[in-house]
Amino acid sequence: MTIGSMFGNILRSLFKKPATENYPFVRKDAPAALRGKLFYDPEKCTGCQLCIKDCPADAIELIVVDKVNKRFVMRYHMDRCTFCDQCVQSCRFNCLNLSDEQWEMASLSRTPMEVYYGRDEDIKFLLEKAAQPGADDSCGPAPAEQA
Amino acid sequence: MNNIFPLIALLIFPGGLFLMASGLVYEWVDRKLIARYQNRVGPRWFQPLADVVKLLAKEEIIPTGVSRGLFVALPVIGMAGALTAALYVPIAGFAPSFSFAGDLVVTLYLLSMMTLCLGLAGANTTDRFSLIGATRTLTQLFSYEAPFLLALLGPAIVAGTWNIAEINNFAGQNIWLVVTQLMGFLVALVGLLGKLEMPPFDAPEAETEIVSGALTEYSGRGLALFRLGKDVELVVGLTLVASFYLGGIANPLEFLLKTLGLLIVMAGMQSLFARLRIDQTVGLWWRIGALLALVQLLVLIVVRVLR
Amino acid sequence: MTNQSQPQKFIVPIGPQHPALKEPGHFEFGVDGEIVTSATIRLGFVHRGIEKATEDRTWVQNLYLLERICGICSNIHGTVYAIGVEKLAGVEIPPRAKYIRTIVAELERVHSHLLWLGVAAHEGGFDTLFMYSWRDRETVMDLLEGLSGNRVNYSTNLIGGVKFDINEKQADEIRRGLDFLEERTHYYMKVVTTDETFLGRTRDIGTMTREQAELLGAVGPTARASGVPRDVRSESPYLAYNEHPIQLQVHDGGDLLARFIVRLNELFDTYRLIRELLDHMPAGDLTVRVPRRIPEGEVLIRGEAPRGELVYYLKSSGSDKPDRIKVRTPSLCNWGTISHVAVGHKLADMPMLLVGIDPCFSCNDRLVTVNNTQNSQDLTWDALRRYGIEYYK
Repeated sequence: MTIGSMFGNILRSLFKKPATENYPFVRKDAPAALRGKLFYDPEKCTGCQLCIKDCPADAIELIVVDKVNKRFVMRYHMDRCTFCDQCVQSCRFNCLNLSDEQWEMASLSRTPMEVYYGRDEDIKFLLEKAAQPGADDSCGPAPAEQA
Repeated sequence: MNNIFPLIALLIFPGGLFLMASGLVYEWVDRKLIARYQNRVGPRWFQPLADVVKLLAKEEIIPTGVSRGLFVALPVIGMAGALTAALYVPIAGFAPSFSFAGDLVVTLYLLSMMTLCLGLAGANTTDRFSLIGATRTLTQLFSYEAPFLLALLGPAIVAGTWNIAEINNFAGQNIWLVVTQLMGFLVALVGLLGKLEMPPFDAPEAETEIVSGALTEYSGRGLALFRLGKDVELVVGLTLVASFYLGGIANPLEFLLKTLGLLIVMAGMQSLFARLRIDQTVGLWWRIGALLALVQLLVLIVVRVLR
Repeated sequence: MTNQSQPQKFIVPIGPQHPALKEPGHFEFGVDGEIVTSATIRLGFVHRGIEKATEDRTWVQNLYLLERICGICSNIHGTVYAIGVEKLAGVEIPPRAKYIRTIVAELERVHSHLLWLGVAAHEGGFDTLFMYSWRDRETVMDLLEGLSGNRVNYSTNLIGGVKFDINEKQADEIRRGLDFLEERTHYYMKVVTTDETFLGRTRDIGTMTREQAELLGAVGPTARASGVPRDVRSESPYLAYNEHPIQLQVHDGGDLLARFIVRLNELFDTYRLIRELLDHMPAGDLTVRVPRRIPEGEVLIRGEAPRGELVYYLKSSGSDKPDRIKVRTPSLCNWGTISHVAVGHKLADMPMLLVGIDPCFSCNDRLVTVNNTQNSQDLTWDALRRYGIEYYK
């Protein structure tokens, strides 16, 4: 039976550096396994859409530009992603992976949350098409319809 | 020009502004020390001030079912009590601004004003957490007050006076009273924790049970005043205990060293213990605290009579 | 407050929003001074309709939805569900995957019990213990992050295996982390069993006898602290618990102190078990192929979550989506013990008593049928649907 049995510990803490990580000023390296932002390699993709079928959060969409020549653009909604790694595991061609470097993705607006992956000309083509008024939305179903 | 000096004493130094500023600083030191004891970083130096400024800027919500006058007046009265008490103690090592034979008793009562106001403030609202908080506050008042008083009477009896300034001088000229009256010192220090409702005596405002106790319904100005009042009480209480038991306070440096030393011990006590239930608090004070203080007093009286 | 002229019961409401509760739940304690004379519990503030939502997601997607039933013991939900689906599909996952699942489940137990230690200390007003135990919990969080890449919802499982391997370097890191945690746990054991102020808040508080625990259907550490030797890991071992059995931790005290002792002792056993598993990891694949359409059938599967027995019922009609999933979480079983033992205690003990069972509110807020004998009726699915439409009209 003691009173104040944590005395030794608190006394030592008084002369120790606080355990708190001073995060935005001091950054620790993320572990190699960290699941950060999703990256997509359009060169390897075959367009099988398994990743989209398995995604529990509807975070990825595949837009087919030219099926025969295997030209795809992936629209990735970072704000919906739960970083569960399922799409990476489902992909048999290793064209997806979660970054262990880009994980500070907070933003004040939603615009940076929508990321396009694919060949540059394809993305440009799609964005221009979407910007045209009255153009039919061939970029896959709009988010509102999915909900 | 004769009226200027008392005005300065009341408003700027040692009363009013200086007290509030030092109260905020001492609150910060207390919080920082606890954080360091708990291996955390703790708040930055302006945090208590920022809290008070924020609270003052906010709307004060007066709940239905309260007596409006009391609700508004109680924080002011409590704060005034704490500020007035400071005029009789040797704040910052200077001689008390006002002094008369027997000001020790007045000071102790003025210090209790704060707790009474808290209790009344809680009982004034219809909120259930406040009511329980008020009951606990007053229960605690009855348990620590007598031992605390007895503990501060010890030095007074040795010095043979009820005047704080004279006791302070006496303590400065003799061996530190903490050596001869260790029991009294401990009771006084722990009593100060109880008075300020700091852990482990924070049952009256135990957030995990009754949200914020008597202050649950307070917001804005009232809350800011109550908090400031408590900070001022912390400074006054530390000064009293330091000047009585730690060999008096004769200059600002001594004041700083002795009160901060006490605060280090107090912060350690705050982080060492689990919160006591209110029945445990009462039991502790009456079974151990009061007994210790009484024994101390008896010994002192016997020694004095024999001499 | 209503009419104050006549004496009435003074009720202290705790929740749905209250600093003692980090999740919404509602408790009404009738008090006489400081003594509690009655206790009522109302749940259901975080009903999210997860069970219904599983019905229009695929088997794979449900893995992640179900993992989000609980924020603290997330992994065990995914694991038990995955075991169930694999059983329905009739596949056996590779032994290495089994070991990895077990290791992650046990690491999760470490994190959950340390978290509980901190929360319980905080409710008792012992913030220093709270800060220290959570500081040390960071170690196991980092270990889990290093393994899975996530700190909270680890997503360890796939249907048919696990997602990641544990290499020697990671295993060493885990061993080092466990050494540190074991030393700290010994220290916390010493603190909670010897510190007089803390003992005053836990000894003989909320004592529940073995008979009461059995009668009220308590599970997990709550039951084990009352002397009920009940643990799914030893009753019907799953995963790698067959090869590496646990040592059942039971205490006869029944009070809050006993719950502290049981949980801390479980930590020691968990450290031992993880080391043993790491030393005996079989080599081999991590996954096995599972068809997307799960054959028709139903299965009831149990697992031991950090809080107690977790039960999953899965029914498949042969499609790629489940027909029905029913989850019974351990917290729900333990609520009854609170209203039972609360009466007669001090109000100040209530937060600790609530936390004593390690409750998880969002865990248990699913459909609860109140069986009222007078109005009880069996409804068919269609009738229930019509009733629902009428009710909200």
